[in-house]
Amino acid sequence: MTTTDTKARTAQTATEVVTEFFDRYRAHDVNGMAELCSINADFSYVPFEMWGKQRVLRGDGKVGTVGKAIWTGLINSFPNLTNSVHTATANDDGDVVVEVSIGGTQQLPWGFVTPAGKHYSEPHLFVFHVDDDLRIDSITAYWDNAGISTQLGHTEVD
Amino acid sequence: MTATLTGTPTQTVHDFLAAFAARDVQAAIALVAGDAAITVHPLHVQGAGTDALRAVLDEVVAAFPDLLLTVQRVITTGDVATALVKFEGTQARDYAGVVNQEKHLDLDQAWRFTVTNGRISAISTYWCQQQLYRRLAVKRFDQIAIV
Repeated sequence: MTTTDTKARTAQTATEVVTEFFDRYRAHDVNGMAELCSINADFSYVPFEMWGKQRVLRGDGKVGTVGKAIWTGLINSFPNLTNSVHTATANDDGDVVVEVSIGGTQQLPWGFVTPAGKHYSEPHLFVFHVDDDLRIDSITAYWDNAGISTQLGHTEVD
Repeated sequence: MTATLTGTPTQTVHDFLAAFAARDVQAAIALVAGDAAITVHPLHVQGAGTDALRAVLDEVVAAFPDLLLTVQRVITTGDVATALVKFEGTQARDYAGVVNQEKHLDLDQAWRFTVTNGRISAISTYWCQQQLYRRLAVKRFDQIAIV
């Protein structure tokens, strides 16, 4: 017989989902991170914009397309990428706000930043929404790319 | 005059942001506890008390006299209210070391407030200073003031 664990969405269960998300991120389990999200989960990394001559690439879209690609690229460039959650607050509507430091040592190019073997650690603020099925259906994040670039020894804005 | 502090965290934060949007820094500061923990990550500001916050708000208001602050969303999680906002304005004087070139700024930000007994007891702010520099035509992080 198969039983289904159907937890109700509360502030606590929503926080547990998000905590697991960062645990999997720390373990570099990108597929596992995505499995915690709904199939069409929204994704917005607000500071992520790469200005080319004719177009701007932004970190907006879906977890399955944009999010996984960014997470994978970041882990490839920073093989020891890790995170440390400082605060996580939630409500019964499924909103979870997390303050977390993310950092690592650069081994491969990341955007326009060439690797110099330098380490960064930068505070981030994530806003998640967890749906009734305890899947993350929205991720929005804020941080300061200037802080990351300068720590990595990159001095050009673009 | 003493401010009446009976609101929910959401209301207190809305009142703070409304005062800031109206460029009334004094009214905004009146909602903040005197020993509030202030962290403005992109400006590397960290300390206790309203003086640091007042300096940050005053500089924004002075540098962007046409400041338009749009509150996109306020998310309340217990005694924490997190505001997702957009700042827009045209630079009219030097700001954060950036020489005025009369550039337009639009910048999405997140402000995380902790509210205790109707008064803001902690603020942590997040935005991307690289986006700000890009909008204000700064070319290098190590030469912010060079045009």
